[in-house]
Order: sequence, then C-alpha cells, then structure tokens
Amino acid sequence: MDEVIKMEHISRYFVVGDSIVKALDDVSLSVERGEFLGIMGPSGSGKSTMMNLIGCLDTPTDGRILIGGEDTGSLSETELAYIRNRRIGFVFQQFNLLGKLNALDNVITPLLYSGMRVGERRDRAMQALERVGLKDRMKHKPNELSGGQKQRVAIARAIVTQPDIILADEPTGALDTTTGNQIMDLFRSLHQEGNTIVVVTHNDEIGLSCPRLIRIRDGKIEGGEA
Amino acid sequence: MFFENIKLAFKSMFSNKLRTFLSLLGIVIGVGSVVAILTLGASASGSITQSLESGGIDTISLTATPTAKNYDTFDEKLGQRLMANVEGIDTVIGINSTRVRIRNGKIIKNNSAYGVSSDYHTVNNYNVAEGQWFTAEDNIQRTQVVVLGASIAESLFPDGGAVGSSISLFRNQGSKSYTVIGVMEKKDASFTASYDDSLYIPYNTFTQRLQNMPYVGSYLIKVSDGYNAVTVSDNISAYLNLLVGSDSFFVFSQANLTEIASSITGTFGTFLAAIAGISLLVGGIGIMNIMLVSVAERTKEIGIRKALGASPKVIKGQFITEAVVLTMVGGVLGIVLGTGISYLVCKLVSWSFSVSISSYVISVGFSTFIGLFFGWYPAKKAARMDPIESLNYE
Repeated sequence: MDEVIKMEHISRYFVVGDSIVKALDDVSLSVERGEFLGIMGPSGSGKSTMMNLIGCLDTPTDGRILIGGEDTGSLSETELAYIRNRRIGFVFQQFNLLGKLNALDNVITPLLYSGMRVGERRDRAMQALERVGLKDRMKHKPNELSGGQKQRVAIARAIVTQPDIILADEPTGALDTTTGNQIMDLFRSLHQEGNTIVVVTHNDEIGLSCPRLIRIRDGKIEGGEA
Repeated sequence: MFFENIKLAFKSMFSNKLRTFLSLLGIVIGVGSVVAILTLGASASGSITQSLESGGIDTISLTATPTAKNYDTFDEKLGQRLMANVEGIDTVIGINSTRVRIRNGKIIKNNSAYGVSSDYHTVNNYNVAEGQWFTAEDNIQRTQVVVLGASIAESLFPDGGAVGSSISLFRNQGSKSYTVIGVMEKKDASFTASYDDSLYIPYNTFTQRLQNMPYVGSYLIKVSDGYNAVTVSDNISAYLNLLVGSDSFFVFSQANLTEIASSITGTFGTFLAAIAGISLLVGGIGIMNIMLVSVAERTKEIGIRKALGASPKVIKGQFITEAVVLTMVGGVLGIVLGTGISYLVCKLVSWSFSVSISSYVISVGFSTFIGLFFGWYPAKKAARMDPIESLNYE
C-alpha cells in the first residue's frame, strides 16, 4: 500500500471574531498512489481548507497529515515550501500564471526553486509543454494565449517537477464546456500514465467523472471516513 | 537563482519606466552630489595647488608700513637680521616699487616699476623669454637697464625688437633713458604680484635714480627646503612684533592662502555632503516606498511563487535583489550626472578636470548599501505573506 495522502482525524478551526469556525471537523482520508480523486462540496463546505492542507499551504489545528509519507503538521514555512515544490503540482481555476513571463519561463519557475541546472530546467520544461500540446507556444506570454492554452501551461507547470500529487482546484471553472472537457481529458490521460490526481470542484458533472469521489458538507466527509 | 532574480528585477523595472525613474531620482541626486563633491574637490585642489605653486608656495612677502620712529629698521640689512634670528630662511630680497610713466617714441604708458635684486626672477620661478636679467654687477654699478614684463613689452614694442632699445622713464622732475636688456615670459599673476604689466630695474639703480625711499618697501623671502612656509612666516611675525610692533608690517605667504583655500573647499564640501546625505536618505525612503508598493501590487505573484515552492528566504532574496538593482541603476545614473556636472563646472571656471575613481567606488558601494537597507523591510514583508491569503488576493 503506497499512500500519498493520509489524513488522520484532521480538524482545522479558524477564529472569526469571538466564535470558532470548524472548517474541517475530525476528517480522515486516505489516497493511494495512482488514484484519481474528486472532492465535491458546496462553497463553505470545507473543501478549500482540505485542498490547502493537502497542498501544504496550511497545517491542521488537530490531527495528523502525511503527504508522501511525511508528517507536515510540525514543519516550518521553509520545509512546507520544499514539500510543495517536490510533491505537489497545483492547477488553479484562474490559472495563476506569472504575467511577465512567457509560457516556458512559467513552466521553468518551480524548477528554479528546486535548484536544478539551467540546461536541465529548459529540457524538462520543454518536455512538459510538449506533453500538454503547447510546444509551439513556448515563447508566448499568458495574455497571448486562450483560456484553454493558459490552463495547459499551468498543467505543464504542475507536472514538470514530477510531483506525487497533481492538485487541481476547479480547473474547468473559468473555461467553456468544450475546453473544460479537453482539460479533463488531459487529466485522465495523465492519470493513465500513473499520476495521482485530486480535483476539487462543486461541479457535479466533473465530480461524477472522477473514478473516486468524496463529498464534503459542513466540515465532514459524507458517509464518514474515506 | 541569483541571475534569475536580476533578470526579474530588470523586467519589473522596465515594465514601469516612469515610476522607476521617479522613485530613483533621490538616489540619482544623492549619488550625483557625492560624485560631484569628490570630483570637483579633486579638480579644485589640483588647480589651486598648481596656481599657488606657480606663484611660489615657498615664498613669503613682507610689506613695511613703518612709522617715523621705526622706519630705519626696514633697511637693506633687515634680511640678514631675519636670517640670523628666524630659522628656515633661504634668501631675502628687498623690493621697492612705484608708478612711473614710460615712453618709447610716441607710445606712453603708466605702469609699476620694481627695484629688485639680481636673483628676484629665480626666487619667483620667473623666466626670461628674450635677452637676460640684470646681474649683481649691474646692481652695484647702478646701471640704467630695465627688464620688461611680457604685456608691457608688447604694448611698448608692438613690432618686437625690445631688447637693445632704449625707453624713457619719467619721475617727478625729469626723465632718464634706460636700455632694455630682457623681456620676460608670460606668467599668471599671483596673489601678491602682477608680473606681466611690470618692469624691473636693479635695486640700487631704482633707489638712486628713480625714487629715493627712506626704507625698503617690501621683502620677498624664500623659505629653505624642508621648512613650512606658514611656520616660518609665523616666526618672522613673532620676531618683528618684538622689534617694531605688529602694526608696522604685514607678512603674507602663499601657503597661508593654500590653507584658506582648502578650508573654503572643505566648507563647500561639507555643505554638498550634507545635501548628498539628505538626498540619499530621502532617496532610500523613496526606494522603500516604491518597494512596499511593488510588494503590495504583486501579492498574487508572491502567493503563486510560494505555491510553486518558493521559500520565504527565496522571496526575500528576490525583492532585496530588486531593490539593490534599482539603487545600483540609480547609482550609475548618479555617477553619469555627477561627472557631467563636474565636467561642466570645471570647463566654466577653467579648472583641469580630473575624474575621481574612488568616488565611483564609494557611490556603487553606497547605493548597494541603501538598496540592502531600505529594501530589507519590504522584502521581509513579502517573505512573511501568508500563501493562502496572497493566492486569493485580487
């Protein structure tokens, strides 16, 4: 059993004014390497908190979380950054590309932080762009690309570090249906190549197309432990 | 990573050229002033020293303003008494001078005539262009010879041929004829003598035939090698104070002037340095301000970079590099500005322009320091941003 995500009795509370908001309340979850997981829930359900915890952008109030076998609960900012860089590939709803950089430099950016040599960075980034079908758009800046192309660049940036988990937050939310379907097809083919993919969404169609689906409501997984 | 940061810094600088330039102005003016101070200081002291040395930095002039009681102290033997009582005197030359009317044919001029000794020109580094200076023998014999300064020679003899000719000098009752034996080279006026407009006669000839003065009007004193002219002139003053009292003479040396000049340039330099200091401080605060704006504007970018695995240290490095690149560009512009201004000023006041390399090194060092100092806080702020909040920032 190779678990890339293991959450044990995770809680995440936020203090808002005088009250405490339980964004996640005693959640346990286990994801195997190579799985394609959908996380669904309405807004305010706690799915974003879940995503932030899996993505090592946040740490839990209580419980234990292991990403690729590493307990992230007690890590420093710098150590969390390291895990994000090596183990997580983010794909966002609004693409979040760096506007001043061209597609190639955007894809190179995470490799910069892993301290890879110049030549290898370039080769790896070009391969990733080729994988998402954008080899001929390498020198284009984000504002010269369509929405679907931007999301492909973002996916190339997510896979270029060969992470343990590709973590997508509403990846089709800013795209029309056809383009959205193409992006989901790309995720499916990446899944077939052995990547672990987690898609967070509130869209039923997208959620139901995932091989495994969990639903979150009021900070708990529906149907209990997953 | 370092080179990527520099590349990024230039990218963000050029994406907002006007804002970048305006925020750099303080640094540019500050560094410009530093460079101008040092460059002008070097050029000025070079030029002042040069002009003072041509006037004889190792000479002291002693002017007599005697009363009836003590005028006999200022005789031809005072030189020997000074040399016996004050250390560091090489030569003392007595000088008398008066205004005379000079005529060559139809040309008539009014100028100063000096009665001086046969070594006056060597003590003053004053060179003969044509003919010769008079000898000690001329002085003893009281021969009626004259040496002309460059300008007066030109106005009396517009067609040349001065040496060997005769001119008439008028004084009171009548005129006497003198033979021109030499014409001098041009020499810039010093603080005590205007060389080119004067004519020179053997001292004894002057006192006997031109003006019989009861005392020597002034003395030119040459300081021995290895002695400080200021110290020697102070000692001469002290000695004469005892002898005749302080209101009967006036001692003056070029070295005193050098001291005055350097204290003036020093004051000027302090003033400019204050301006430089203030503009660098204001410039630094400007840099801090623009970096804080930049960090706030790029919150989203910081969030994205953090999500992609940039550690706080990396983010801090990126923004500090940006601040340093910014201030160093300002420093380079300041160097260009300061050098340009100094060059123009030097042209204007005809000093010889000399570039101060050390000012460039100081400027680059200073602007780097300002970038580090004032970029540190904004960079730290960027590094401490919460990744989730900054990612969601619109």
